[in-house]
Amino acid sequence: MPRIITCFKWVIDEADIKVVADSRELLLERVSYKISDYDRNAIEEAVRLFEQHGGSVAAITVGPPAAKKGLKDVLARGPEKAYFVNDSSFTELEPAQTAAILAKAIQTRIEYDLIICGEGSSDLYAQQVGPRLAELLGIPCATFVNKLTLDGEQLIAERKIDDGIEVVALTLPALVTVLPDINTPRIPGLKQTLEANKKPIVEITVKDLNQTFTPCLQTLKVRGTTMERNCQKFGAEPTEISKFVEALLKEGVIA
Amino acid sequence: MAGVWILADRREQTLELLNIGREIATRLGTRLVALVSADLNQAQEYILHGADEVLIMPPLADEQPLSAYVPVIAEEARQNDPDIFLVAGTSQGKEMAARIAARLNTGLGSDCIGLNFDETQQKLVMDRLIYGGAAVQTVVCLTCPQMATVPPRMFAPATPQNGRQGVVRELAPPPPSGVKILSRKPREHAAGDITEAKVLVCVGRGFENQADLKLAQELAETIGGVIACTRPLAEELHWLPERSYIGLSGEKVKPELYIGVGVSGQIQHTTGIRDAKVICAINRDENAPIFDTADYGIVGDLYDVLPKLTEECKKALGK
Repeated sequence: MPRIITCFKWVIDEADIKVVADSRELLLERVSYKISDYDRNAIEEAVRLFEQHGGSVAAITVGPPAAKKGLKDVLARGPEKAYFVNDSSFTELEPAQTAAILAKAIQTRIEYDLIICGEGSSDLYAQQVGPRLAELLGIPCATFVNKLTLDGEQLIAERKIDDGIEVVALTLPALVTVLPDINTPRIPGLKQTLEANKKPIVEITVKDLNQTFTPCLQTLKVRGTTMERNCQKFGAEPTEISKFVEALLKEGVIA
Repeated sequence: MAGVWILADRREQTLELLNIGREIATRLGTRLVALVSADLNQAQEYILHGADEVLIMPPLADEQPLSAYVPVIAEEARQNDPDIFLVAGTSQGKEMAARIAARLNTGLGSDCIGLNFDETQQKLVMDRLIYGGAAVQTVVCLTCPQMATVPPRMFAPATPQNGRQGVVRELAPPPPSGVKILSRKPREHAAGDITEAKVLVCVGRGFENQADLKLAQELAETIGGVIACTRPLAEELHWLPERSYIGLSGEKVKPELYIGVGVSGQIQHTTGIRDAKVICAINRDENAPIFDTADYGIVGDLYDVLPKLTEECKKALGK
């Protein structure tokens, strides 16, 4: 009966970001937020294992008060309970801080056998929080997992590495980070959304953790990427297609 | 003691990191130390390629993963206090770097697309992509060692210099780990390597069936290109091998010509084609974001456009 924790992050939807052409400044006023894409797979995998083996499944996130909106969303996806480590200073956390906060909250508050994280977050995509958290908790870890089987006290993980596939066994408690192709996350319906309202949320403050979390990285600047391209469009008629081919010949890229 | 340290799980990345590591070590006036899982012959080769010291990780038992070395490397770093520690941004390297950084309680810039050494501040200034590639974040590390992972193929391999001398030392064997390898399966090799190809025809979600990819294949054959794809086609539909997908978490490519067919152009994908010389797109949705990042686009149904385009290319190229 595994006690499973899934970690998630409430992030800016990158599709809403606009870049000012000249200054390459980011316009973030109108962005919406979402559960990080990769974390949806982590949540789904946790819920899937819970449905198979019983036990419990809790979600945890770290963020500023505005991240509260993500809690209902995550609970609608299946976890029974959510933990929210919340402080107004948690707006621009770097991975070492996020991992340290999660580690402290989990260590002092939550019993677990398995922690599942996404491959990375869809905002920073540093791919550090999972493996850092495992080290801080002193538990075995496997990253880039695309198949997970729980077999008593052992966890079997198929991980994708550059050279191929590696199948590993981990002793519990353990942590894995999962790849997007491990599952297809369910989309919560109205019933799940209503049920989410009744599920417990545990708020944890920095004061409760009794520790300071200083950053190891400092961001000097952030600027939008631009791609300056011709943006010349043709139609699908034969004359247009031959103009398109002419353009490629002129560029010297087909021969 | 101090130094610039490098760690890679493969020879080609070790040579790349020796190149950039040598440059930084010289500017810092310190030594370059390479951590390798290799035999003594390779250690000598790395010394000729710029290392002052090679720390050899003794061979692992079959069931031991490379990450079993994390505590050994972290302890070695604690004792020797390197200034900078660069790790190859392979999947194993990224895990190792994050875990070592956690043990040393230091910062790590992940997947740096730019590395500059600021001599006055003695800081590694790291550029990395965030928001799926929509922005570049420039970071510095406030703690020591300053760590970074470097994607493969970012730097040229180091060239050997005759007569270089260096020290070789063997690290302690790793302690037992909670992770045991049960089996390994090598990755299937794709027919054409998309990172080497000059022309890429990239297929996306616009294709309705796997069999329809032959339309793209015919175009690719006509213009001497290789087929690539977007992430869902490789990871969800498994229509093409995983090595074929372009994107932030897939392959980054630099072809002369990229033609995206039925590709919508999400930022995670277009980040991977940023360095293409000419970008083209075929999509029936004239508002598809791919057209904003393309030099030339054809607005039309790929099932109508591809046969016509292949025919036109054959004519133009006299095939």
